[in-house]
Parts: sequence; C-alpha cells; structure tokens
Amino acid sequence: MSSQPARGTVVPVAVIAVCFALSVLLSQQIDATKPALPESYGDKDLQLNGSRLKGYVLGTESLVADWYYMRSLQYVGNKLLTKSGFINIEDLRDLNARLLYPYLDNATDLDPRFIAAYSYGSLVLPAIDQEKAIAITKKGIANNPNEWRLYQYLGYIYWHAKDYEKAAEYYERGSRVAGAPPFMRMMAGAMKTQGGSRDTARKIFAQMLADNGSDESVAATAKLKLMELDWLDQRDAINGVLAGTKATAGQCPADLRQVMPQLRGVKLPSGDFEINKTGQLVDPSGAPYLVDQQKCEVTLDPKRTAIPHSAGN
Amino acid sequence: MFPTLFAITTNTLREAVRDRVLYNLILFVLLITGSAIFLGELTAGQEARVIVDLGLSASLVFGTFISIFVGVSLVWKEIEKKTVYSIFSKPVGRGQFIVGKYLGLCATLLVNVAVMGLGISLAELYVGGTQYIVPAWGAIFLIFLELTITTAVAIVFSSFSTPALSALLTFFIFLIGHFSSSLRELAQSLGSQGAIVFFNVVYYLLPNLAHFSFIANTANGDVMPLSLLANCLLYAAVFDGVLLAVAVLIFSRRNFK
Repeated sequence: MSSQPARGTVVPVAVIAVCFALSVLLSQQIDATKPALPESYGDKDLQLNGSRLKGYVLGTESLVADWYYMRSLQYVGNKLLTKSGFINIEDLRDLNARLLYPYLDNATDLDPRFIAAYSYGSLVLPAIDQEKAIAITKKGIANNPNEWRLYQYLGYIYWHAKDYEKAAEYYERGSRVAGAPPFMRMMAGAMKTQGGSRDTARKIFAQMLADNGSDESVAATAKLKLMELDWLDQRDAINGVLAGTKATAGQCPADLRQVMPQLRGVKLPSGDFEINKTGQLVDPSGAPYLVDQQKCEVTLDPKRTAIPHSAGN
Repeated sequence: MFPTLFAITTNTLREAVRDRVLYNLILFVLLITGSAIFLGELTAGQEARVIVDLGLSASLVFGTFISIFVGVSLVWKEIEKKTVYSIFSKPVGRGQFIVGKYLGLCATLLVNVAVMGLGISLAELYVGGTQYIVPAWGAIFLIFLELTITTAVAIVFSSFSTPALSALLTFFIFLIGHFSSSLRELAQSLGSQGAIVFFNVVYYLLPNLAHFSFIANTANGDVMPLSLLANCLLYAAVFDGVLLAVAVLIFSRRNFK
C-alpha cells in the first residue's frame, strides 16, 4: 500500500529527469547541425535608433542606454578574443568594429549624460575610426559642457592624431571649466611645445589613470599605455647597452644578465629596471625580455607579455 | 466613516499578502543580488549605475503588473464571489468600499516598492555605489506615485468591465501615459492641425506618467528637487482624486439587488 504514493512520485520525477536530459542532448544536437551564419550576420546594422527610442521605452531610457553600453564592451571584447595573431591597440581597424560607434551613439542618445560611454568611445574609437572618436566626444562636450574630462579626451584624440594645435586648444578649453585640475593648463602648453614627446604621453596617461580610477575601461587603457611607454624607454636603454657591448666584445650577449652591471647605471623616467626571482630582466608587465641575436636588440616575449605590441614589436 | 475605510484597507492588504502578491519580491531580490555579483565583469566599473537602473526599472515593471492585475480583480472578485452583498448589507458606502480597496492595494504597493528600494540600497552599498542611494529613494517615491495612478485607472475600468478587458485598457492607459508627450511632439512635427488638437487633448486628459520618470536622473546621481517631489505628489493626488470619483460614480450606479 505504501509503495503506491512513492511510485506516484518516482514516475513523474523520472519522466522529468529523462525528458530534461533528452532536451539538453537535443539542444546540443540542433546547435551542431545548424548551418553557421556568415560573420556579417552578427555585424548587421542596428535596427533601432536611440534618439527615436527616446520617450517610447516607458521611462527606462537609462536602462536601455546601459544595455547599449554593455553591448559595445562585449562587441569589441569578442572581436579581440576571436582575432588571431598580433593585436596592435594603436590600430584596431582590422577588427572591423564598425558597430561600436552606433552602439555608443545610441547609448548617449538615450542618456546624454552617460560619461562612461563617451569615455570608452574616446579611448577606443581613435584606433578604429578617428572621425567617429571626435564625433562622439564632441557630442559629449555639447551635452555636458561642464565635464572637463571630455575636453581631456578630445585633446587626447587630437594628440593621438598628431594634431597638436587642436589638442592644445581642447586642453586649454577644458582648463577653463570649473573644477579642472591645473594639469589641463599644463598640457595645453606641453602640446604646443613638445606635443610628440614620450614625456607628454606619459603625463597624459598618468593623469587619466589618476582621475579615472573608478572607470575601469579608462584605467585599464591608461595602465597599458603607461606600460608601453615604460617598455619603449627600457628598449632604447637596453638596445644602447647591447650595441655598445657588441661593439667592444665583437658579439651580441646571449643573455641580458651579462649586461646587468651597465644597465644598473641607466636612469629611466619610471625608475629602475625590474628583475624577477630567477634574475632575468623583465618588461613592465613582468614577462622576461628576449634578445634577438640577429639584430642584437631586445624584444618582448609575445606569448607572455601583457604589453600591447605589433608584429615587429 | 474612517474605521470602516480602515477595515476595508487593512483587509485588502491582508488579502494581497494571502494571495502571495509580495512573492514577486523574491524574484526582485534574486535579480538585484545576481546583478550585484555578476555585473562587475560586464560593465567595466559601471555596475553601480546599472544596478540602480535595473532595480528602479524592475520596481516600475513589477509594480505596474501588480497594480494592473490585482487592481482589476479587486472589485470584480467581490462581485463574483457575491461577498459584495454581505458587505453592502452592513453600513458600508459604495465610495468607502472603492476607496478602501484602492488604499489597500496602494499600501501593498508601498510595502513592495519600499522593500525594493531597500534591496537597491543594499546592493549599492555592496558595490560601493553609495552616491546613488539617496537619489534612488526619490525615484522610488515617484514610481510609487505612478503606481497609485495606474491602480486608480485599473479600479475605474474594473468598476464596470471584466478583468481581462480592464487589464487591457489599463495597460493601454499606462502606455499612452508614458508616450503622450512624445505623441504630442510627433503630432507637432507632422503639422496636421487635427492631430495637434487630438494629441493635446490626450496629453491633458490622460495622466502623463512620464512626469514620474526619474530613473535616468538617478543614474546620473541627481538628487530630486523638493519642488519636483511636491508637484508630482499634487499631480498624482489630483489624478487619483478624479479617477476614484469616476470609479465611485460608476460603481454607485450598479445594481446589486
């Protein structure tokens, strides 16, 4: 008698478990047999225009703006993950991330005060489409004229494009905004006198890092750029020492440990060289340097370094 | 008069709790907790902003569903179960009945949005977005005011129509209430005089629920000005008054003999 209720439970539970397991298998089977869509399918133009959506999303414009912003992050992130070979963050045109601007444009149409969206666009878009980077940042300034950071970003974009006059103009305009740090005025001057120098670049990214600790996309980009600048300084110093050693010894040192005494005497803008536990000279991301014996030059280890680099380092 | 009103109000609140209306809070808590834990990776440091947007939008959507689906069945259920006869055999006025039911559902919604506001505040504390906590409470209060109007609309329709039709009509009013200013702008851009007049009438005749939208401002850290709060409170009170008067008027003419 007592087995009757137990059976009444066991049978439906068993049916549920079996059917559910079957549905999982079938779902995997369908995924495996479905013909893959062309890559362009995922890159199709946005169907909705943010400015037209405004007023028709029941007061949740800000949430829809967040969605577009998050989509823009995932969009570029996925492109970077699926890209094979070297990635040069100075030039991301190969990614064909043509939807980044429409995503950010929609996000900022729906919330014109969405500073994080402008920041992300002004830092990533210059490597994809300079004109669009300027457009999104100018839109940000038009909507938020009292946000000095946006002038800083626009100054950065023009600096990136080597248009130091324009860069100086926007740093100057930003310095006049209430609450702007003295750094902005200083940068306006630096752009005019030494726009293309590495020192100016270091100041730009150090300031971005200091001012945007809470904005992870800005902070991460600034950190990478600073590491890249440190690497360039270290590369110049190491190559100088390697060339001197080759000239006196007649051959290139097989290991950088051989030139450590000479490198200890070199003064770098970011401080001393770093050495790991095994005594190897490491790059600013902590990966050991390699020596290209043919050219007798130091190189990054493409498999281990976190520093952005091109195929030719 | 007031003891009767109070009795109907508290009974409606008890009935909503018994009907497990507040169970939606479990879903809300799961949504907010999940967002607080997982959004960090997806938003590049903007999780505090997304949580406040998501939490406030969810409060509006959940609250609207409750006010529509519970609101349309409040009066209908009493008629269907014939309990309305025993109520009106006692010294209870039709106006008291309608207003009491309305206040009972408003109390339920107040508990609902207050708990949601608490959930948003705790999630913001967890992710370090304390600057959003005070603005979020202003937005929560405006959402509650909007829900009082939606509830009043639902009660108006349910006083003479079936629950399904009432729910549909209330939902339409909710949509038009949010779109009315956009529709008015659209009519002006079309240039048709007839459309302009029609949408102006719609704009002023129906409640403009867009007045109660403060979610985007909250996401930008704006603290609500007291003048806006007071004006919205008055606007909601005026519309609630009009709608409840209409509901009482219709319900008073119904024959329960």
